[in-house]
Parts: sequence; C-alpha cells; structure tokens
Amino acid sequence: MIEGNLVNLRSPEMADLERNTQWINDREVTRFLSMRYGMSQAAEEVWMKEVCAKPTSYERAFFAIETKDGVHIGNTNLFNAQAADQKCELGIMIGDKTCWSQGYGADALRTLVMFGFDEMNMNRIQLFVFDFNERAQACYRKVGFVDEGRRREALFTEGAYHDVLLMSVLRDEWQRPA
Amino acid sequence: MLEGRIVNLRPQELTDAATMQRWVNDTEVTATLGNRYMWSLAAEEEHLRQRAPKRPSFEEQLFAIKTKEGRHIGNLGLHEITAENRGCDLGIVIGEKDCWSQGYGTDAIVTALRFAFSELNLRRVELHAYADNERGIACYRKCGFVEEARSRQFAFRNGVWRVGVQMGVLRPEFEALHGLKLKEATA
Repeated sequence: MIEGNLVNLRSPEMADLERNTQWINDREVTRFLSMRYGMSQAAEEVWMKEVCAKPTSYERAFFAIETKDGVHIGNTNLFNAQAADQKCELGIMIGDKTCWSQGYGADALRTLVMFGFDEMNMNRIQLFVFDFNERAQACYRKVGFVDEGRRREALFTEGAYHDVLLMSVLRDEWQRPA
Repeated sequence: MLEGRIVNLRPQELTDAATMQRWVNDTEVTATLGNRYMWSLAAEEEHLRQRAPKRPSFEEQLFAIKTKEGRHIGNLGLHEITAENRGCDLGIVIGEKDCWSQGYGTDAIVTALRFAFSELNLRRVELHAYADNERGIACYRKCGFVEEARSRQFAFRNGVWRVGVQMGVLRPEFEALHGLKLKEATA
C-alpha cells in the first residue's frame, strides 16, 4: 500500500468489481474518460481477472484509491511505460461522485506521481485531458503538471469535436509534497 | 497503388524484409525515429509476416514508398485510426539516404493525407517529431501540419534529453493547401 495524506493506493481486488462496473457505466464519470460504450459486469470481470492475476509491475502499475477509512473511491494507473526514455502516461478516475472536489484526486495524483519518480525511476509523466474537463485541468496544474499544448479537434463526443490537452510533469521540477 | 507526383504508395511485401532491416539498423536513419534497437533479419521478417499477409482494414494502413521507377525508398504508416474521432497517427521513414531532401517524403505524405481525407474519410492526422529534426519538421509544415504541442524531455537519445513536437493537420487546412485530388494540385 502506498500512503498519501487523504488516500492510500492499494492493489486492485476482485471485490472491487461491482463498484468498478457501476462507475464505468456512469456517463457523468466516463464523459471525461476515453470510454464511451459502457461495459457489462462480465466484460469488466474478464478485464479485472487479468489485472488482479498479475502483480503490479513497471508495465502495469494499476492501483485502487481508498480513503483513510478504507472506502474505495476510484482507480489510478501509470501505463505506456517507456523504459529507455523513463516516461509514462497517467490515468485517474474518481468514480464515487460524492468524493469529487474534495482533494482526494489531487492527493491520489501526488502520491502516484511521487511513486513514479521515487520508485519506478520515471523522469517524465504525461497525461491527456479533454478541453471541457476544467475541474481536472485545475487539479493537474495544482499538483504540478504543466500545459504542453492541445491536439485540435482530436476528440469527438457529445455531438462535437473537442481539443485534447497534453500536460506533463518532470522529475526535476516536481515540488515534493510536505 | 496510390499515385503521387514523384512516388507511389504500394503495399509492403514479405520480400521487403532485407531492405527494411538495413534501414532500421542504420543509426543515421533511426536518429529521428522512435526505434533505437538493432533488428535481426528474423525479427524483421516476423514483423512483416504478422502484418503483410493481413487483409487491409480501416484500423491501420501500411505503405511502401516507391519511386516511379519502382525503387523502394521508405515506408509510411497511418496508425491508430479511430472511427469515432476520425483521426490517426502518421509515421514515415525515408530509409535510402541518397533520397533525402529531394521531395520524396513530402510527396509521400501528401499522397497519404489525400488518401486519409478523401478515402478513409478522416478529418485529422497527427504526428510526432523531435524538435531538432528541422528537415522533417520543414517537410511536415509543407504538407500542412502545424505545431500543437511541445513535450519537454520527451526522449533520451544520443546522450541528451530531446524535446518532442506534436503536429496536426485538419482536412480543410490540407484541402486549401494541396487539394483532395492529385489533378487539382498539379493543375
């Protein structure tokens, strides 16, 4: 378990299945993610079995986000790790909407980014965020991510084309949380 | 065969393995590419065996770039084509170094973009380059790409961290520059 201030990051468990299925079928949650079709519990189970069967690793650093009371509120991961370039991408979902805008996401991000730099020996962590997801952009900037540009009209959703922003944080510039 | 002005785009064949292996092991060629590993002929053959015999489909387009005389001088690929977003990634290599800076790459990309926009019905194509690849970036600009993002410490190559540039082109921008048909462009 990786300890943050407000949350802990732990390995995913099959017991998370029902919650995960509920979240990824909630359009209020997934409209900010690259996930538009929803998924049956059976399909989610196949995917989770694969994730849970293998230990967390450099190639697949997937974590469940828990509050300090042990309530599972979302998931986060580092993926597309490029070992020679010491870089990867970050993904995060706070699936429990009652936990939005309370600092859980920011704390999970700080905890995961620190793990990426201090344990996985990453040098650069990047993420993509949709232009209409301003809450998340503010959160990423607060945590230390820097805007690098925008892929114009790279996303089609909700009947229109949208820009996708690219942000990253480098180990050198990372302000370590107190 | 997709006809350009000075090149044609043809399918990649199993018999191209030795040529492609020579390019992928030439560090002058790969200095501007993502690949930095040395490939055995067997690995290159296996790579082609997995791709070349497949029926073509919407998701990925792989081409051999050939001069009008039929000389195989490079490859071009449209990758990660997504139906919902109508976009894809473009990758290109001119492996024959005596063919650099002669307009072959530009013509190959313009030909592939024309195909992407007028046959695949895409509306956006993007690519990645290292910021110090001035020759490449000048070529991409000529094709219609504009810079959209700069990634700091994007890759570690030749002993230093290099800046990455992401570029994109939208269909109306390309059409205004080059036209969606070869005839319009040459007229």
